[in-house]
Amino acid sequence: MRAIRTCMVGAAIAMLAGCAAAERPDVERVATEFSTGDPTVRCALLAPAALAALEREGPCAATVGTAVPSAGEVLQTAVWGDEAQVRLSGDTLFLTRTSAGWKVVAAGCTPNGDLPYECRVEGP
Amino acid sequence: MRRTLRDNGIGLVFGGLFLLMLVGQAFSGQAQYNDQQLASGGEPVSIGQYVTSSSFAVDVVENWQSEYLQFFLYIFLTVWLVQRGSPESKDIEKVGTETDEEQKVGEHAREDSPAWARYQDWRGALFSRSLGIVMGTIFVLSWLAQSVAGWAAYNSEQLGDREDPITWLAYLGGADFWNRTLQNWQSEMLAVGSMAVLGIYLRQRGSPESKPVGSAHADTGESG
Repeated sequence: MRAIRTCMVGAAIAMLAGCAAAERPDVERVATEFSTGDPTVRCALLAPAALAALEREGPCAATVGTAVPSAGEVLQTAVWGDEAQVRLSGDTLFLTRTSAGWKVVAAGCTPNGDLPYECRVEGP
Repeated sequence: MRRTLRDNGIGLVFGGLFLLMLVGQAFSGQAQYNDQQLASGGEPVSIGQYVTSSSFAVDVVENWQSEYLQFFLYIFLTVWLVQRGSPESKDIEKVGTETDEEQKVGEHAREDSPAWARYQDWRGALFSRSLGIVMGTIFVLSWLAQSVAGWAAYNSEQLGDREDPITWLAYLGGADFWNRTLQNWQSEMLAVGSMAVLGIYLRQRGSPESKPVGSAHADTGESG
């Protein structure tokens, strides 16, 4: 009984790790495309709320380049449920899983101590 | 068939109620989760996605662990603790693990006693504590499951709030884990303590959790 239940908990932990590992390639692909793509690609990869927030300053394709710096290679990725964080050389992105795949919800983010990251582009 | 249902009424009814309420929790939890999703600019999730999420898992197992802790503590502590006048307590003079004769073990086992009650070796020792051991084991494992599911749900919220995820050990020392844990524990201790004390003075005719209606307040360990 104890062995079975220990295995079940172990399986739950393995499942968490497995789910995150399965999503990691997609998350990193979207993050890389966003950070290195042209404005049209970057705008298409923004989540609706982040896109709406950016377009309050003007058309996305015209503003995304100045609002969010281009970034380099992926340094670290964390995936938890439907949310993800990708640290790149030059930027930190936050992504969310939508029905259309992973999208960027916050970009141009810098750490702010114990407070939430300060992001140049983000939805509510 | 009818007799089988009657003879297993408590287990069947509570098992059925458990499933119904778990389904109700799943749908109400999904509705609340989707409200939060829409408020934060996210997309609603299906019931299938919700019941396989860490958010649902932690909400379920944090209650399980506290229930099993309650019964585990009650089973073990009432070997040594008594409450004069309570139907939840054994007689005052029976404090402790009692004699082999009273417990019908070893040479005092009856013909219909469980087989392991006859053994004086590890089998007898294990069977004599099996209820507490199983309840305690389920408690520990469901608390562990709470810590893992709660950690995953917490980190998902952290990322949604544009904050860094934390390690499992950091989560174990954090406010979310202990708030979830203690808010459940305190209610269980209140329920058990009040049940033991109220049973001294109040009655429920026909319930084995109550003394017979006419029993004196000072009578301890009676049920009917």
